[in-house]
Amino acid sequence: MAAAARPALKRALPSLRSSTFLPRQQQPHCHHHVPTSRRSLSTTPSHRNDAQPTTPSDKETHFGFSTVTTSQKRALVASVFTSVADSYDKMNDLMSFGWHRIWKDHFVSTLNPGFSPLSSTSPTSPPQHILDIAGGTGDIAFRLLHHAHTVNSNPNVKVTISDINRAMLSVGKSRSAALPASQQAALSFVEANAEDLRKTRPLTPILSQTEQTFFDPATATSGLEDDSVDLYTVAFGIRNFSDIPAALAEAYRVLKPGGVFACLEFSKADKHPLFNSVYKEWSFRAIPLIGQLVAGDRDSYQYLVESIERFPRQEEFRDLIKGAGFRVSGDGGWEDLTGGVAAIHRGMKPRE
Amino acid sequence: MYVVGNILGKKHQTMAYPAAVNCSGAARRILLLPTTTTRPATRSFPGRLSAVTSRPITTLPSTPRTKSKSTPKTQPPTTPPPQPLQTRRTYHSTTHPPPPSPFTQAETTLLTTALTSHIPTHGFTLPSLTLAARDLSLLDISPSFLGPSPVARLIHFHLYTTRTTLPSLASQHSDLLSGLSVSEKFELLTWLRLKQNEPIIQHWQQALAVMAQPFQVPVAVRELAMLADEIYYLAGDKSVDPSWYTKRAALSGIYAAAELFMTTDKSEGFQETRRFLRRRLQEAEELGGAVRSVGEWVGFTASAGVNLLRSKGVRI
Repeated sequence: MAAAARPALKRALPSLRSSTFLPRQQQPHCHHHVPTSRRSLSTTPSHRNDAQPTTPSDKETHFGFSTVTTSQKRALVASVFTSVADSYDKMNDLMSFGWHRIWKDHFVSTLNPGFSPLSSTSPTSPPQHILDIAGGTGDIAFRLLHHAHTVNSNPNVKVTISDINRAMLSVGKSRSAALPASQQAALSFVEANAEDLRKTRPLTPILSQTEQTFFDPATATSGLEDDSVDLYTVAFGIRNFSDIPAALAEAYRVLKPGGVFACLEFSKADKHPLFNSVYKEWSFRAIPLIGQLVAGDRDSYQYLVESIERFPRQEEFRDLIKGAGFRVSGDGGWEDLTGGVAAIHRGMKPRE
Repeated sequence: MYVVGNILGKKHQTMAYPAAVNCSGAARRILLLPTTTTRPATRSFPGRLSAVTSRPITTLPSTPRTKSKSTPKTQPPTTPPPQPLQTRRTYHSTTHPPPPSPFTQAETTLLTTALTSHIPTHGFTLPSLTLAARDLSLLDISPSFLGPSPVARLIHFHLYTTRTTLPSLASQHSDLLSGLSVSEKFELLTWLRLKQNEPIIQHWQQALAVMAQPFQVPVAVRELAMLADEIYYLAGDKSVDPSWYTKRAALSGIYAAAELFMTTDKSEGFQETRRFLRRRLQEAEELGGAVRSVGEWVGFTASAGVNLLRSKGVRI
């Protein structure tokens, strides 16, 4: 998700990008990576940018090629973030032929958040706390809320959207304004690094371009307790984590016994060789091109498809989840979507 | 399970006999040595020969199931094969442990609780699973780890447990089963399996509807096929001719029909279902007999016709 939102932002805010706006956790998962000449291209520029010093300016700054004042820029940044969300949706639709909506709907409806039969022993539904990690623009969180509040008629469900990137969270926050008030009240936004959820802070608005949009653990004001979450979701985000086992261990820590870990992520479709070859052609040739034409940034989309390629296979990722202590189901522990282009992994924290 | 054993067995006959016949001198001596001394020798001869030496030659053309052991590809019994797909076919092997359950321990605990405590009240539904999760002091969300359709998983679990408890059920009724013919045996075994649905029969239509959904059909069909095979195995049917398939297909059809019949059966002790089952099995036998007779007639007429033409000088 972050990867999809990045290019429009990069185009619009070169100065900001150079200092602060980085891919979510900087580097994709590494230890499965086999370096090839083709792959090494995309991730490096963002690292180089990372090292460059910022050029802070109090009065005047630039926005693209034009020179604007700080206050003007603030307004422009806000508008850019709105357009990011739009082009992000457009890009996702173009890349997946709109199918990502089906995946996300399926992901949420099979998790069935908020489902709670009333019985004589529990006349009211027990509260549920859902943590949506890397949920920036709220795609999954809004669906979870809708399912819990509207489909399952259970208003006792709260969703926390967490992202390492304030910019993405801000988009989610502004998009949430369109939700019904009851759902808005059940939402909260926190900045956190998924690899250490002990350090979080509520979303603070971005006031100046010199501010860092990437979450700095030193500024943390709170943290997520052990055994405090019913459902932990991460959709198209875990691929960008630099330390997946650490993130899984954190998921295990914050989940209550019986809590469910659910991950929707791109995966491998090589069970169907013919389909896979078409899919690979599409992802390595067409997607960077679409990114270049529509969002004006080839590198980011090159990174996107490469990070998909690097992500562990279904079985390996399932074993990582099991290794973190989760219990998985006996039918493999995952569910392939569209022949394995994406996969849903589910695990439950057992009661010891 | 039989069929693979059968194929392997046939392959084995064509492969192992020449091996046994051709091996002269040293190899033959190895074959005839007592077991204790052959052990080191078999280690040095990989594959077929070692397999041949592990048993007396005279047992080679016997039941095909035991013969699967002697094929070179067979894994040692201590290491279960990694894929359930591969283990499916060795289910009835007497030399292998049964394949691992398709349900993990965490799943089994949750599903068993749901099945025993909540299905009779709530049926095969999500509330049953959620209430079971509460019983185990888990959360309402917990059943969603079972996969995309927790309810279908629950029904699969019922199918699996009833099928795997059938052998012990059969041994409990061994006094009834002994002295029956093969066809009588599988009538009784099918009936025993149908009776296992009795506690949940008022919910079984609903479960059948779930398992008839396109995504669940492969699971349902596989379970049905394995059940038919289980019943034939327990009935002691050892035949390995091409009717292996037709017999199992016929029993699957009859079982599915009887199961559906049972969901609307209001008679005392489901006696109507039993009569229905007997009628269907009788019909299948009659139909099988008729098909066999027609086949014999066609075969005879065809060969007679060919011979007649030959006698008239036609070069056939």
